[in-house]
Amino acid sequence: MEFLFEQFITGLSIGSILLIVALGLSIIYGSMGVINMAHGEFIMLGAYGAWALKAYAGISLFPSLIIIFIATALLGALIERGVIRYLYRRPIDTILATWGIGVMLQQLVRLTAGGELRYVEMPPSLAATVDIFGVDVSAYRVFIIIAGAALFAATWMLVNKTTVGMQLRAVVQDRSIATAFGINASTIYTGTFAYGAGLAGLAGALVAPLKSVSPEMGTGYVVDAFFVVVLGGVQSLFGTVASSVLLGQLSGVLAYWQNDTVAKALVLVGIVILIRFRPQGLFVTRVRT
Amino acid sequence: MMSKRTMRQVFVYGAVCLAIFLLPMLINDDFLLNRFARYLVLAMVSMALALSWGYAGILNLGQAMSFGLGSYCMAMALKLRTIPVHTGSEGLPDFMVWNNVEALPWFWKPFYSMPFAIAAGIIGPMIVSAILAWFMFRGRVTGVYVAIITLATLVVVNLVIIDQQWATGGFNGITDLAQLELFGITFDAYSATTYYLIAICLTVCLFLALAVTKSKAGLILQAIRDQEDRVRFFGYDVALFKTMVFCISAGIAGLAGMLYTIVMEFASPTFLGVQLSLSIVIWCAVGGRQSLVGALLGAILVAGMQGALSESEVFLDTWTLVMGALFVLVVLFLPNGIASLGEKLTEKFGGRRATPEPAKRGNSIARSTKLAEGK
Repeated sequence: MEFLFEQFITGLSIGSILLIVALGLSIIYGSMGVINMAHGEFIMLGAYGAWALKAYAGISLFPSLIIIFIATALLGALIERGVIRYLYRRPIDTILATWGIGVMLQQLVRLTAGGELRYVEMPPSLAATVDIFGVDVSAYRVFIIIAGAALFAATWMLVNKTTVGMQLRAVVQDRSIATAFGINASTIYTGTFAYGAGLAGLAGALVAPLKSVSPEMGTGYVVDAFFVVVLGGVQSLFGTVASSVLLGQLSGVLAYWQNDTVAKALVLVGIVILIRFRPQGLFVTRVRT
Repeated sequence: MMSKRTMRQVFVYGAVCLAIFLLPMLINDDFLLNRFARYLVLAMVSMALALSWGYAGILNLGQAMSFGLGSYCMAMALKLRTIPVHTGSEGLPDFMVWNNVEALPWFWKPFYSMPFAIAAGIIGPMIVSAILAWFMFRGRVTGVYVAIITLATLVVVNLVIIDQQWATGGFNGITDLAQLELFGITFDAYSATTYYLIAICLTVCLFLALAVTKSKAGLILQAIRDQEDRVRFFGYDVALFKTMVFCISAGIAGLAGMLYTIVMEFASPTFLGVQLSLSIVIWCAVGGRQSLVGALLGAILVAGMQGALSESEVFLDTWTLVMGALFVLVVLFLPNGIASLGEKLTEKFGGRRATPEPAKRGNSIARSTKLAEGK
């Protein structure tokens, strides 16, 4: 019983990281149809932000989260204005353009911060372990789980309960009609992209203490995040949550049963088969055409 | 009877191939020749991708899978021809000895035969791709989802090859290979013979691909790219056509992979890595996805630039930046790649009105109907 619970916590921890990482991508892909291959690089920038703010300015993780969110969001807005907006009619090309941007960001970081691995300290208040039903769990992992839930709740509220969110939903449904009603679609898109990029930056800063930080760290995340989004269903935030928890648990179980590599391969095979039979995702019941 | 446009195309393609064949006359440096041979191999994969992406609209992000499988087939055959340094029973490859493998695995045994290996290097990727394509296209998977599935498949194959170290050499791949000998000719990686072998394969594949695009099937494929549903309503078996072109593309990529092993003298999991696979897409997009020769030149240009920039002192650190920027600019301003540059220029300055391409016309119709349908 204790073992099962421990396994469950491991899976939940993997799942919450997946959720945090995928949330920004989900927002951008789901509402704008843009496949942001530079998402991983935004995550990487967030992680480097956490490292740099600590190393040069002495700002600890929690206050730096705000700065990182704003900074990556601004960068995202800039990229949307400069590149992405010319590609809305060619969705496949967004993959290519954002990949190019990702390569540039990666190299910029390598040139300025160096290619070696960096480490971000955990906030001392969360360095201990917590006892949950007799299982020792790292406090930081619990914090990540809570942070994932909080970020999701905030995003859900933003999309579903605010005026801006309503405007976004209107633009997604029908851009021209929404524009006719006086909604500035292009501002909404810029804002959405910026928010998604900001979330990615936050994700990077949050996972940084758990992993080593390197210019290449984003590549793995973007692939994982992408699979989460596709599995959950493109326009469903709840789907993203459900699929990240599911994938997290699945990877946890498979990694225990086999090794990590085989677990990863099996999860990918599962996703391929799923896309073939349910391209709309697991958790979407009705798809707007 | 060939149309005027086809004639012009054949002429341009022939000229490019001729230039490739004449190159060794100008270069007397074996090292440089080896590098150019490598670019030609990469050009071949890029051209193969243009066939499935540019002409049939299948964005295959896993093109490197076929490439890598071909490369491993050749490497296995060449490995068995070496006189092993560390030998177990039956002359086991060295890495198997290190992994405590007792006997040669059964799937290695046929690779004692070179004809089998060459056939496997082409047909193997074709079979794998056929299964994958059938799986995807029967389910009417299109667009981005094709990209995801092919990418995921590539990652799976890559993971398996790295994981099964006892049979594949794992991260290190298969190294220390013999030189290929065919019909009494030895193909040294640093020689003009290998260069010519690659040039011949490239030419044959290029014209084969051109023939495919000019055939009736090629026309149907372009129609599928522009408006898949309509072609289906006409009664064509869309999945069959897509599977066919996907397989041809995989076969060419497999052949290129085999040649790559000959040029590089090893096979490694990076040959079917995500990085290479995305690079192929880049080459193809920069050169022009709707032009076979454009994609080919795109690969030579970009890979060549990459090689030159990464060696020059000024760009040692910044060449990736330059490449990324170049790529974004091409996507933004030249969606059909450098190959469309010529057309654009003649349209603008030449005074002669360029004949509108059928493909483009199809696109604009598709776009306007999409608008009309409120999509």
